[in-house]
Amino acid sequence: MKYKSLKKFLYLLSVLWLLALNSCKHDDLHIDKTNENFRAGFDFVKNNYDLSLFAAAIEKTGIGPQLNSATQLTILAPNNAAFNILGINRPGDLDKMNPDTLKFLVQRHILDERIMVKDIPFNGIDVRYRTMAGTELYTSTVTRDNSNTLYFNGSLASRKDVTLANGTLHVLDRVMKATTNTTVQGWLSARPEYSILVSGLKKFGFWDELSTEGPYTILAPKNQEFEAVGMTAEAIAELNVNSYMGDRLFGCYVMRKKHFFVSDFVVFSIMNGNSFYFHPVANDTYILTITAGRFNYGNVYDQSIGYNVEVRTNKNYPYDIITSVKGHDQKAIDNLTDNGLVQDLQGILILPEQAVKNN
Amino acid sequence: MLPSRMKNSIFYAAIVLLWFATGCSKVEYKKIDDPAYLRVFNNLNYKIGIDNKDEMLPFLTMLIDPEMDQNGMPVNAKIKGDFLDQRDPYAPPYPSHIGSGTSVNNPEYPGRENVLVGPVLNGFDLSSWAQIPSGKHRVVFMFRPKNTVPFFNLDAKLKKSFLIDTTMVLDSKEVYTLHVLQKDYLTKRNGIYLRKENFHKLPLSDSSVYVNFYNMSAKGYWQADNDAKGGNEYGKGAMGNGIKDQMNIFVTLYKNRTVSSPKLAGYNGKYLGNLTRNADVLEVSPYYSFPLFADASAGGIFTDMWQRFDFLAPGMDIRNIPYGPTVNQTDGNWASINCLTPYPNYTRWNEIVLPNMLVNIHSGTYNPRSFATVNTIEIVNGNVYLSTIQRKYAPPIY
Repeated sequence: MKYKSLKKFLYLLSVLWLLALNSCKHDDLHIDKTNENFRAGFDFVKNNYDLSLFAAAIEKTGIGPQLNSATQLTILAPNNAAFNILGINRPGDLDKMNPDTLKFLVQRHILDERIMVKDIPFNGIDVRYRTMAGTELYTSTVTRDNSNTLYFNGSLASRKDVTLANGTLHVLDRVMKATTNTTVQGWLSARPEYSILVSGLKKFGFWDELSTEGPYTILAPKNQEFEAVGMTAEAIAELNVNSYMGDRLFGCYVMRKKHFFVSDFVVFSIMNGNSFYFHPVANDTYILTITAGRFNYGNVYDQSIGYNVEVRTNKNYPYDIITSVKGHDQKAIDNLTDNGLVQDLQGILILPEQAVKNN
Repeated sequence: MLPSRMKNSIFYAAIVLLWFATGCSKVEYKKIDDPAYLRVFNNLNYKIGIDNKDEMLPFLTMLIDPEMDQNGMPVNAKIKGDFLDQRDPYAPPYPSHIGSGTSVNNPEYPGRENVLVGPVLNGFDLSSWAQIPSGKHRVVFMFRPKNTVPFFNLDAKLKKSFLIDTTMVLDSKEVYTLHVLQKDYLTKRNGIYLRKENFHKLPLSDSSVYVNFYNMSAKGYWQADNDAKGGNEYGKGAMGNGIKDQMNIFVTLYKNRTVSSPKLAGYNGKYLGNLTRNADVLEVSPYYSFPLFADASAGGIFTDMWQRFDFLAPGMDIRNIPYGPTVNQTDGNWASINCLTPYPNYTRWNEIVLPNMLVNIHSGTYNPRSFATVNTIEIVNGNVYLSTIQRKYAPPIY
């Protein structure tokens, strides 16, 4: 009898056991606890020696507390080397800048949404985001061998996805140059060092269109480059428009319906092997062959990129190479305006005698 | 008090019932009443480069019967074909994409999608076609960024690029192929092209290989500058620069895959018919045929025969082609396709190489045995796509 009740007990036990199994419900366990090891936006920048100039710039504009209290943030922080390119070597140098310009510069490097590398469509070209300054930010990224190359307005992100308590931070190796409410025309006319180019564009009828929608990419040699080959302001004033091919002589500096950051050539050469871009000169057989890449191979830490333009008499063989000019000046390339870009060029593409009309 | 045996059986019953209660999960079998069969290809084969960097990347999402929010942005859809990548040059006769590879990119719809597919219809294997409820549907194709985020989880600003928003009517038990195409090369106008296939209704013979041709290139493609369209690329051959709007098709059959392979008598540059560029009118091109065993000496079980198709401008003679065999720049007058698996020492000249149209497989006691197929060759802007449809064949006996 005792044995029988034990048996019954075993049955009961298994039933209870099954019931117990069914009644258990495991909710997923979540612990939402802020990680105190990460700093908020401005605090992080301030505590990083390599970002001290950017921290000083934020401090001067007074938006530091805003960066600490924001909830979703992306900071594109140019490192000190990037400011050095612009000639800013110590916090005191920032005082020489117009405070509004400085504020605009800082705001252009901050986004009020969190954008990590994984959020940007890969192999995306010119994916656009809006900065705190209200300007458009052009983002390009390309992946090769599991390594991501990421550019913001042509500036390389040398450190990506740095965690902040309230967002993310990318370190840029060049300050993004952007000017709002100006066109390529306005940009050039505000800079006297490009006055000879401007006079040439005016003389040969390329100037007026540069305030229209575009977009345009202007290859811009400085006055000293023109003067070095004897194309002084006086010499250009004396040129007879009718005896020169304007499209070749000055049209070659104006690329219509194009907006290129130098980094675009790098991105496309990785993405689909298009490392050369052939840009035909209007109404001519002449062609510009543009390519870009690193130029300082002596220093592995210098990831700066520049471009090179070669003028050929014809695209396909046989052709002659007229000139080969580089644009490596990190201070003067990738100047973004509302209707295109201005890329500084360290030389002249075509001399007047190479553009004389034959008949 | 109940007898103990009865008590025991009540306990047993209780346990068994509990097992049942916990063990059952309801399986819902999906079924589509009155389906139409649909297969979708993304034929936008342009490359984004420096010159056209503002053009949209040809990477699409297909939404059938989408729901839009008040801003006109799609928020949901009855049927979604996401990650629709540029199509592969070869669409094999069996569903080769599902379950293979880790990429989400889909070279066709249904492709990798886990959906109900077509049956064997009149002997043709439709497992590469998805079942879609027949009737009128709103079809939207969206450009999407190339990443692995499903379309509806994308950032709102990335869900705004419409390629086309249109309606189509699908009849019950009919077989359709839907193509996304560039319609005009100069204006870059895109569109879709829905073709109601008829191969399953035709009295096609088991002993002949059938093929039809479409030139769905954009208007103005072959006339455009060769450098600008990027046709001079290894592998694209003379086809890369496009062919003229009117072409004659010739077939040549080769006996086997050797360097000095003899041509088969009666099929040395045989005229098949005419090919007209047509990216708008939705009609099925006629099927041309040649015997599976055009090589009488092959024995009737297995043949290594391969096919070559030449496209020549009207007035040109296949015996007297005025271009060298390696010339790619033929002004759209001549291009060719070799359907073969390249053999040792195979020299590629200026043709496009695609897989052989014959299916050679272990069937019955024969390994391999050759089977005839029904094929479609589509020429789109310098690229050629071969789709092969197979019939049922006997399973292997080991």
